[in-house]
Amino acid sequence: MDEKILTSDFGVEDSHTLAVYRKRGGYKALSKALKKMKPDDILAEVKAAHLRGRGGAGFPAGMKWDFIPKETEKPKYLCVNADEGEPGTFKDRYIMSHAPHMLLEGIMLTCFCVGIQTAFIYIRGEYEHVARRLEAAIEEARKEGLCGSNILGSGFDCEVIVHRGAGAYICGEETALLESLEGKRGNPRLKPPFPAVVGLFQCPTVINNVETLSNIPSIVLHGGKWFSGLGLPEDGGTRIFGISGMVAKPGVYELPVGTSLKEIIFTHAGGMLKGKALKAVIPGGMSAPVLKADEIDLTMDCHCMLEADSMLGSSAIIVIDQDTPMLEVLRIMIKFYSHESCGQCTPCRIGTSWIHKIVQRLCRGEGRREEIDEISRLASNILGKTLCPMGDAAAMPILSIIAKFRGELEATVEERRTEIQ
Amino acid sequence: MINIDVNGRPLEVEPGTTILQAAQKAGISIPHLCYHNALPPEGSCRMCLVQIDGYPKLELACSTTVKEGMKILTNSSVVKDARKSVLEFLLAEHPPDCPICDKAGECKLQDYYEEYGLFESHYAESKSRKPKQIELGNNLLLDRERCILCTRCVRFLAHITKTGELGVTERGIKAEIDIYPDNPVSNNYSGNLAEICPVGAITDRDFRFKTRSWFLEEKPSICPLCSRGCAITIAFHPGFTRFDLPQRVYRIKARENQAVNGAWICDIGRYGYSFMDENRASKIRLPEDGGETDWNQAVDYLSEKIMRLVHMKRTDRIAVTVSTFLSNEELYLIKKIFHEDLGISKIYFVDPSEGSGDELLLTEERTPNRRGAIEIGFEIIPPNQEALAETTDIIFVFGNGINDQVENAVEEGIKPIDLKVLMSAHKSAAAERFDCVLPMSLTAEKSGSLTNVDGLVQAFIPALEPLGDSRPLWAILTDLGRKMAIDFKTYRKFSSTADIYRELSREIPFFRK
Repeated sequence: MDEKILTSDFGVEDSHTLAVYRKRGGYKALSKALKKMKPDDILAEVKAAHLRGRGGAGFPAGMKWDFIPKETEKPKYLCVNADEGEPGTFKDRYIMSHAPHMLLEGIMLTCFCVGIQTAFIYIRGEYEHVARRLEAAIEEARKEGLCGSNILGSGFDCEVIVHRGAGAYICGEETALLESLEGKRGNPRLKPPFPAVVGLFQCPTVINNVETLSNIPSIVLHGGKWFSGLGLPEDGGTRIFGISGMVAKPGVYELPVGTSLKEIIFTHAGGMLKGKALKAVIPGGMSAPVLKADEIDLTMDCHCMLEADSMLGSSAIIVIDQDTPMLEVLRIMIKFYSHESCGQCTPCRIGTSWIHKIVQRLCRGEGRREEIDEISRLASNILGKTLCPMGDAAAMPILSIIAKFRGELEATVEERRTEIQ
Repeated sequence: MINIDVNGRPLEVEPGTTILQAAQKAGISIPHLCYHNALPPEGSCRMCLVQIDGYPKLELACSTTVKEGMKILTNSSVVKDARKSVLEFLLAEHPPDCPICDKAGECKLQDYYEEYGLFESHYAESKSRKPKQIELGNNLLLDRERCILCTRCVRFLAHITKTGELGVTERGIKAEIDIYPDNPVSNNYSGNLAEICPVGAITDRDFRFKTRSWFLEEKPSICPLCSRGCAITIAFHPGFTRFDLPQRVYRIKARENQAVNGAWICDIGRYGYSFMDENRASKIRLPEDGGETDWNQAVDYLSEKIMRLVHMKRTDRIAVTVSTFLSNEELYLIKKIFHEDLGISKIYFVDPSEGSGDELLLTEERTPNRRGAIEIGFEIIPPNQEALAETTDIIFVFGNGINDQVENAVEEGIKPIDLKVLMSAHKSAAAERFDCVLPMSLTAEKSGSLTNVDGLVQAFIPALEPLGDSRPLWAILTDLGRKMAIDFKTYRKFSSTADIYRELSREIPFFRK
C-alpha cells in the first residue's frame, strides 16, 4: 500500500479533534522543530522535499519562502489559500474537515520557518461548516499552547485567523485574495511587485495552498529526502487527486506524484460508470486543457502534464464520457468564466462574455459551424493578454476543446440548427 | 542612466522610468486608456502591451520599468494585433454614439480605432443596454454603455481628492462604476473626472450638447480665481462668419504644471469662466463725449486732468484704488506712474474677501497676485472712503477684472470727488457714479505675469482677443505714461509686457529669479 501523508486519518472517528490528531502523532513535528531545529533547517528540508505548490501553479514551496526578505522592519504574513474555487476541485475541503490540525501544524511550522507571527486562512464562503471546524481547531490548539503566544514554551508566537470569502472565483488568485483580505474589492494586482515583497497590507507575504502546507509536518518529521522519495525527483511527495464525473468511484485519492492518470481513473476510481465510455479528461481542474481518451497514458506530475500541453493544476480530474456533448462542456465552462471574470481587464471581461453569447447561440441552434473559428480567434485574443492568470485559465481549455473536438462541435452545431428548423 | 532600445532606436533613460514614459519622452507614442500620468498605473485596459526581447508574453508599457539592455518593440505585428484585439473587445460592447457624444473628436477610443483599428465589426450579438444618464453628483452624468472601466475616475477620487465617492460594483461584463447610495460626488475637483474620462462616459452638464470639440480652439492661460495660479487651457469658439455665438469660452481645462497644480484644477476655476463673456464693459465713456470716443482721446483727457494738478503741485489730491487681480507689470506701472512720477501716496487696494481654501489647490486668497503686489512694494490697505472724499479731486479705480466688486470701492462717500475714473472689465451699477469709464481686458486677453501664493512668477500670453474696445491695462498705462511725459524715455521703451518685466526685475531683486 502506498504511503499516506494527508489522508491517513480520514475516516478515523473524531479525526478533526486535537486529542485524536495528537494520539496519532500530531504536533510531534512542531515540537521537534521548536526544540531542535532552526528556521533555516526547516527551509532546507522543504527545499530537499521538492514540494511543489498544490494550488495550481506548482511553484516550489521552499523557493517561494526563500523570496521573503530576511531583513525587514515590516511584519510578515502567511495567507493560506483555502478558496478552492477551481471547478472540479474539492481536496482542500477534505483536508480541512478531516485533519484541520494537520493544516494548523503546517501553518505553525511555516510561520516559524519564515519568521511570521500572523497567518490568515482565506476560506471560500461556501465552506461555512469547514470554517467553523477550523476555528474550533484553532481554539483547541490555543488552549494547549500550540497556537497564540509562546507556543510550547518556545517563545514563538503565532496567531491564526480564519477569514471567509464572499464567493468569488477570482479571490483564489493570490493577489485578489490579498485585496479581498484587506477588505477591498477582490481584483488582482499588477505584478511586480510580488507578494513575497509587497503583499498583504504592503508587507512581505507567503501565500500557500492548504494541501501544500498540510505536507509540512511530515516533511519536518521524516525529512525532505524521505518526502521527495515518495514522488518524483523534482516533484516530491503525494498528491490528493479529486476525481469527479462519469467514474464508478468518484472521490479523493492520495497517491504519489507521478501516478499514471490511466491508473487513477481505471484502477483507483474503479473505471467508467457502467455503460459509459471515456471521451475526455480534464486533468487539473477546469482550467487545464482537455485530454482525449487516447491521451491519458501520462503520469500526474507538473512536468509531464506540461509536456502534454495540459497542466496538473489542482490535480482535480474531471472525467467526461461519450454521451456528453463537448459543446455542452464548452457552454458550462464559458458560462463559469464569464460569470466569474472580475471585470477588471478588457480581454477577460468582454472576451469571456462575447464567447459565452456565441456558445449560447450555438447551443440553441442559432449558430453556424464557422463561428467555432470565431470562438477560437477570441480565445486566442484573451490568451496571454490579461492582467492575471484567469484569462489564460478561461482561454486554454476552450482552445484545447476546439483543437481536439472540432469535428464533434461542428456536428453538434449543425444538428442543433437542423433541430430548430 | 539605463540604455534601452525602442524600435531599433537607442535611448538613455532614468532608472525607474516605465517603458511608456521612456517612449513618450522620445516621441514614440504607445496607445493607452487606463493609464494617466498623474495616477498610479492600473494595467487593466491592455492597450499599451509591447513586445520585449526575451519575454514570453507581451508586457504592459505603463507599469513595466526599464532594465539595462531592454529591447522593446512598440509596433511589431504581434503588438499591432494585440492592440487591435483589445480595441475589438472594447468596441464590441461600445454603443455607436459618436454622432451624439460630447467626447467625439477628443475620444481616445475613437482616435485609437482610427489609428490602430479600422476593422469590420465581428460582433453578431446584441449589445448590453445600460443606463445612460446616471447622476453622479455636482455637474456629472455617467453613461454606463460608453464606460470602458478604465477606473481613472475611481483612482482620481481615491488618490488625489481622497474622497473616494466612486467605486466599481458588480463583476465581469456587469461591472460598473457607481456612487455609494446617497453619497454623490461632492468635492471641489469633480470636473476633472469628465476631463480625464478617456471616452464619453462621464460628461459634465456645463459642456454637454453645447458645441463640438472640433469647433474649439485651445490656448494656454493661468487661472486668476485664487492665488494658486493653476495652469489652464481656455477652449473657445472662434465664431462663425454669418452669425454670432452667445459665448466665446466653452470650457476651461486643466493644463499640466507639476510645479503648481499637477494635472488638475478645481471646479471654481473650471466652471467659473462665464465672467469672460458675460456682462463685459466694452465701450469707452468720457464726460460729455457724445458716445464717440477712442483710446487716444481717453488717454489725452486723463493726462490733461492729471497734468493740471501736477502744474498746480496738487497731485496729493489724486487717489488710486487697485486690486491684486492686476499683473506684476501693471502693478509696477501703477507704482511707477502714480507713486514715483506723481508722488501720490494714496494708493489703496480693493480685493474680494477671502474664501476657504482646501488642502489640494484652492487658496483662501481669491485673487491671483497679492504676493506680487507685496513684492513690488505695495501695502495692501483698503481705502477710507470719507477721508478720500474730503482730500481728493481725482480718483482712479482699477477694477478687479473679474466682476462687479468695484462697488465696494465707491460708496456714496466719494460722490463729491470732481473726477471719478473707473477702469473695469465689467459693467456694473456702480459705473453710473463714475465720470469716466474705460473697458479693461481680462487676464485671458492679455500678456503679463502673476506671482502665486508660493512666490512663483508665471508669465501668461493672450488666449482671447480683447472684447469690444477693451485694452490691457498695461497698454493703457504705458500710453498714459508717455502722454504725461514726466519720464517719457522710460515709457517709450515699453512696447510689450516683457519690456516692462525686464525693468521691473532690474529694480526689484525678487523678480530676478
